[in-house]
Amino acid sequence: MKFWGVRLLSFVLAFGFVYGLDVVTQTAFPNLYRLAVLAGLYVTLAVSLNLINGITGQFSIGHAAFYMIGAYAAGFVSQHMYASQPLGPVLWLVVMMAVGAVFAAIAGIVVGLPSLRLRGDYLAIVTLGFGEIMRIVVQNVDPLGGAYGLNVKPFGEPPKILWLVWLLAVLCIAVCRNLLKTSHGLPFIAVREDEVASAAMGVKTSSVKVTAFVIGSAFAGAAGALLAHSETFISPDTFKMDVSFIILTMVVLGGTGSITGSIMAAVALFAIPEWLRTMQVMIPGSSIVAGILAVGIMVSGFRWVQNNYHESVSKRIGAYLACVVGAAVAAVVLSFVLAFIPQLAQQRLDVAMLRMVIFSMVLIILMLLRPQGVFAHHEFSWDWLSKVLRARKGVTA
Amino acid sequence: MLEIDNLDVYYGAIQALNGVTLNVQEGEVVSIIGSNGAGKSTLLRTVSGLNRPREGAIRFKGSEIQGTAPDKIVRMGISQSPEGRRIFTNMTVQENLQLGAFTRTDNEIQSDMEKVMDKFPRIRERLKQSAGTLSGGEQQMLAICRALMSRPKLLLLDEPSMGLAPNLVTEIFNIIGELHKDGVTILLVEQNANRALEIADRAYVLETGHIVLEGNGRDLLTNPKVKEAYLGG
Repeated sequence: MKFWGVRLLSFVLAFGFVYGLDVVTQTAFPNLYRLAVLAGLYVTLAVSLNLINGITGQFSIGHAAFYMIGAYAAGFVSQHMYASQPLGPVLWLVVMMAVGAVFAAIAGIVVGLPSLRLRGDYLAIVTLGFGEIMRIVVQNVDPLGGAYGLNVKPFGEPPKILWLVWLLAVLCIAVCRNLLKTSHGLPFIAVREDEVASAAMGVKTSSVKVTAFVIGSAFAGAAGALLAHSETFISPDTFKMDVSFIILTMVVLGGTGSITGSIMAAVALFAIPEWLRTMQVMIPGSSIVAGILAVGIMVSGFRWVQNNYHESVSKRIGAYLACVVGAAVAAVVLSFVLAFIPQLAQQRLDVAMLRMVIFSMVLIILMLLRPQGVFAHHEFSWDWLSKVLRARKGVTA
Repeated sequence: MLEIDNLDVYYGAIQALNGVTLNVQEGEVVSIIGSNGAGKSTLLRTVSGLNRPREGAIRFKGSEIQGTAPDKIVRMGISQSPEGRRIFTNMTVQENLQLGAFTRTDNEIQSDMEKVMDKFPRIRERLKQSAGTLSGGEQQMLAICRALMSRPKLLLLDEPSMGLAPNLVTEIFNIIGELHKDGVTILLVEQNANRALEIADRAYVLETGHIVLEGNGRDLLTNPKVKEAYLGG
């Protein structure tokens, strides 16, 4: 009964993690509570978009629309009906998640249907358009608050729902992972790999694609419902196009099709700008220019190593380290030299202001060095880790 | 077993098949030869349900199947090894075979997989390997194995010799011969007219969407017109 043992263990671990995260954040890092909630929502969004984009290969870039539909559906229902029903806050939130999921899933069917006829870029345009249309519709519907936004305060106080947010993320991960591991998942990957061949094998490509859209958008909708309740206020501006793009970036950066990759990238891409936002450091313009040049040197060094060192892993790691050290030295020397240019040295900039610049640079560098995404098609697993470690030992021994 | 009656297929305004009529009897190997763009692959795609005919009928075991969804056609017992093999290169060989049996729900899939691998020992050796790492010949074998996994009553083979070295072409055609001996009904589309006619019980020659000749494989091999156009004089 190894199977059930592992199952049970992972359930216990997941609940333990979610509970622990909630308790630790509340007691030790109350300032981070809201960020931890948002990070959890982004994990759900990235993993659910990964099901559509990465696993099934349907290029959708309107994921924020499903997020918005879930948020508004749940927010509206909650605001008008919470007072006149007997459920407590927690159960009510679960019901609201279902409401958000159902509405978003219906929208998912609507968007999924054109995907039966459209491929690649064309589908991307349709989903992008759908997202913008939904946002503008909401902006002009007065009962939903229009451009002013919608208050969602059924309980008065904003509820402490970090655990629920991460439970949803865990559920989303579990659903996607089990879909991939069982034989139900093969047709999804088959559609991504080769639609004609999978149709010739008897895979109902249309229902596979619509299923991916429905599951993916339902999870986004449930995440939206939680967002509405934890933020207590939503407006069409919360769900602009850049939200869709950041979710897409998380999926691509993590490695299209890799669930672990999506999780890591979601947390990292959410955390980096937030962390930079808190930095209160003023740096002179000369150092910034020097830093950019040094990063350029480092990246070209990395690419050179990638192309020229194939034989041994330890040599390659050494070469990478040499690039980092060289870039650091270059940064110091350059900033010293550039400080002689008064226009640069006198211009002082806040790191927090530069955060989107730094963020984009991280993205560009990662895409240059690893275009297939950090995890590519792979998944993190303990088997994989032990295999890699054993292989490393074999090389050094 | 399969009857095609006056089939017209268009891609937009371009007519790819024009009044094609042919039939395949149970247990036969029927070859269709023709040059590039004659409509051979279109014909197989239409039988599989991947293209819709504008006119005409396709009957499989008495029931009309033109315009039926591809997955239903697979369930009825027609399975295709598509042109250019189209195996799932990022999946393992085993997963490819599992997808071949996608429409089946019985519990003999595993034993069928063993049977298929007994016939193709090289596939067994590479079972856990990613299918993209297979050689061209092995990929073609995998494509045929995958098509066999659905237990087809009629097997459609689209250019199985495409892009293969001569000794591998011989191997593939030997395999087709063995399948024929096992009683599998095969509709084969080929540019390699010589091989296709040698192996066929009957054959058709397709030219710009029309059937221009039909007959026994042996007779067509010696037909002066076929010799001149397809067998190099």
